[in-house]
Amino acid sequence: MKYDNLKKFKNSFSNYTELRVQENRNNRLNLTNGDVTGNVCTRNSGVSARVFKDGNWGFSSSPEINNESIEQVVNASTSNVQFMNKKDSSKCGFFLPETQANYNMDLTTKKDRQSQKYWLDFVKEIDGYVEKKYPELLSRNLIMGGLDMEKSLFTSDGSESYSMTPRALLYAMLSIEKDGAPFSLGNPWGGLGQMEDKFIEPSNYFTEIDILVERLKEKANGVHADAGYKDVILDADLAGILAHEAIGHTTEADLVMGGSIAGDFIGKEVASPLVTLIDYANSCNGEVCPVPVYIDDEGTKSEDVVIIEDGILKRFMHNKDSARHFEEKPTGNARAYEFSDEPLIRMRNTAFVPGNNSLEEMISSIDDGYYLVKTGNGQADSTSEFMFAITMGYEIKNGKLGRAIKDTTISGIAFDVLKTVDMISSDMSWSSAGMCGKKQLIPVGMGGPAIKCKVNIGGR
Amino acid sequence: MNRKETLNYCLDSLKKAGADKAACTMSISEKKELNVEIGDMTLLRTTFNTNMGISVIKDQKKGATSINKTDKDSIDVAVKQVLEMAEGSQPDDAYDISEKQPSQTFSKGDSSANLDNMYQSLEGFVDYVNSTYPKINLEAAIMDFNHSRLFFQNTNGVDFEVREGMYGFSPMFLSKDGEHTSSFNYTGISALKLDKPLHTYGTIDTLLKESVEQLHTESIKDKFVGTLLVTPDCMSDFLGFIIGDISDGKMISGNSLYKDKLNQQIASSDLTFHSRPVSDEIADGYFITSDGYVAENATIIDKGILKTHLLSMYGANKLGRHRAVNDGGAYIIDPGKKTHKEMISNIEKGVLLARFSGGYPSSNGDFSGVAKNSYYIENGEIKYPITETMVSGNVKNMFTNIDAVSSDRIDFGGGILPWISFKGITVS
Repeated sequence: MKYDNLKKFKNSFSNYTELRVQENRNNRLNLTNGDVTGNVCTRNSGVSARVFKDGNWGFSSSPEINNESIEQVVNASTSNVQFMNKKDSSKCGFFLPETQANYNMDLTTKKDRQSQKYWLDFVKEIDGYVEKKYPELLSRNLIMGGLDMEKSLFTSDGSESYSMTPRALLYAMLSIEKDGAPFSLGNPWGGLGQMEDKFIEPSNYFTEIDILVERLKEKANGVHADAGYKDVILDADLAGILAHEAIGHTTEADLVMGGSIAGDFIGKEVASPLVTLIDYANSCNGEVCPVPVYIDDEGTKSEDVVIIEDGILKRFMHNKDSARHFEEKPTGNARAYEFSDEPLIRMRNTAFVPGNNSLEEMISSIDDGYYLVKTGNGQADSTSEFMFAITMGYEIKNGKLGRAIKDTTISGIAFDVLKTVDMISSDMSWSSAGMCGKKQLIPVGMGGPAIKCKVNIGGR
Repeated sequence: MNRKETLNYCLDSLKKAGADKAACTMSISEKKELNVEIGDMTLLRTTFNTNMGISVIKDQKKGATSINKTDKDSIDVAVKQVLEMAEGSQPDDAYDISEKQPSQTFSKGDSSANLDNMYQSLEGFVDYVNSTYPKINLEAAIMDFNHSRLFFQNTNGVDFEVREGMYGFSPMFLSKDGEHTSSFNYTGISALKLDKPLHTYGTIDTLLKESVEQLHTESIKDKFVGTLLVTPDCMSDFLGFIIGDISDGKMISGNSLYKDKLNQQIASSDLTFHSRPVSDEIADGYFITSDGYVAENATIIDKGILKTHLLSMYGANKLGRHRAVNDGGAYIIDPGKKTHKEMISNIEKGVLLARFSGGYPSSNGDFSGVAKNSYYIENGEIKYPITETMVSGNVKNMFTNIDAVSSDRIDFGGGILPWISFKGITVS
């Protein structure tokens, strides 16, 4: 729902104020072994206001969207900041940097919208293919759904924006039994756009399913990785999560202020000179990124943030408050998930910049190591110590790919690992299915080329 | 329309439009939330929300929707949409709604919170941290009071009303000393009343103290197989595997390691483990299940024997088994005989695991991950905080290899958990 003319409430503003009307729409279908275990649509909308004065913030939100409720939300958030200022006036005189930008982005499909039945038939056709061709599978879980985030924003600095940012995903998780134990492997497809634009024919996914089943069988018959400090190639999925979790979070300015180790490294060499890492705002090499942000939820024009350039830590990601603290420019990284959430510093599309090597060259350069293809999840620390689950990978022996490995974990100190990078592939791919959690959820893009480095790999 | 009239209108509309069975919930919530950011109290949030959840069965086909509006027009649109969703779905005999039970009203907690008192309490915590642990950076701390009213009705005549007021507090912090930075750590509690200093709840003060110790960590010298002493904060990571495996998703898909283990030994006889959402011991429980039944307490594992799966009504119907009497959560583990300090004195070589940074265990129970905020134990003593240390094993085997359960436990408000030591874990 686009809300025109939020500007008319400007007279209710008495301090720096952001006013946002937002609706999130979700639909989801779950198919478990052919049974419909989920058939759900949700719609969540409302208005929120956030007010800044003398170093404190007040926030309020309401699910009602009308003139009266919008006035009430502005007044409540103003009262909240006044409450905070009465308790603590020590930050009197703090002012936020002013930004002004205007942008409209509507990525609603131009096609006719399809019913939930249409999409159920779509996913059932894929499930039918899997069931018929691979009766040996222990279980089939298919999930299909979409998330539309629609925001209208007006700020006291004069920024005004509208965005409708959709994401559509299809996810398959398959499992097989081997020697009495279940093994699972999943894969997502989709990304930016509504389902009508992302999913055209069920048969387009048959070959992808064949590859997934083949890999699942390889894993079930695979070997345990040999634990230790090894040469590895992190394929794009892994490189992306390393960029996001292990480096990206440590360079969000609020976490830097909280004591993350990156605060000690600005301007210093933190990686091999081959490494450049960027949080892209909305496009990369002329292509729209998985989560394009043109104006953030504080009304700042979003710009790319070059975090590491040729191995040197260059810059942090900012909102207005952290930019005030560091005396920098805001970078347009402030984003909120629901109408009832305040904007936080969030990554957008975080990726390593491609290098000059081919994947074949990289594999042939390793005598004893691993090619790691898929990750289940990942976590990282303020120290940049990280852990990623590996759900698919292969041995590399004498420069050639070997047997598949069973599920394992890799870990390391990211700023140390990046110093061991000695080859980067020339290609680039994005993962468009990521949801990042930091008080709130938020869709993120991550990606990159394959990178060769050294990490600790867990065995059994 | 008042709230009950709104639910009646929704159910009537669904029936008139052809629904065979339907259930509606309405929740109205108000939250007050104070936020500390980087050691500074900077943000006050007051948020209001409503939610209507509507599920419908027609010709044994099901659809569900939720909206956060309660006006007639929004309900009319939602009713039309959810019926279309059901009509477009496929039939399944396992779909059903809860049968008629006596109408009941439940209530607990404060109706409102005094914001000045909340501020004072949080300010006291910030002052305590600054004065007691000057090397700690309080990255964030959230203190909130959430007041909600929930109404549940279905076409079988079920009619429940729940009112609840609950405080929550969750700090996140690390220590910094020059170029030394500790791993971040966090915990959380919930409570019906805030009647004591915040740092005295749960494990908060212990974790703050340990954070400063963890500024200077060491790597473990050699790989070994030893004992893992898991703290109450970390216990949910491992209990979660069992819970996941006895719940709908894994049970229906057939991936559960415990699908045929009812009334069989799946853990050491030292483990007795309950879900008690309506116990007086648990502040943050619940009164009704998501299916619309009055929740009851249950013992999940009794002296190592699996006593119930955690199946919803759909899962139970699908598999021809019994519905669980609650939705899980509110976990209580019975105490053992020795304190966790006495348990440490019995460990020859091992790790005190305070936070586990690892992937969800694979389907067969294998896990590996990094031991964060953790300590090396040797010859019955804690030696030093560790870094870059992996622990790995198999969760299913781990619970059959319990060495001891502590007599002392931590009350988090939403659960009461002890320390448990497990033998045969690989540390590298």
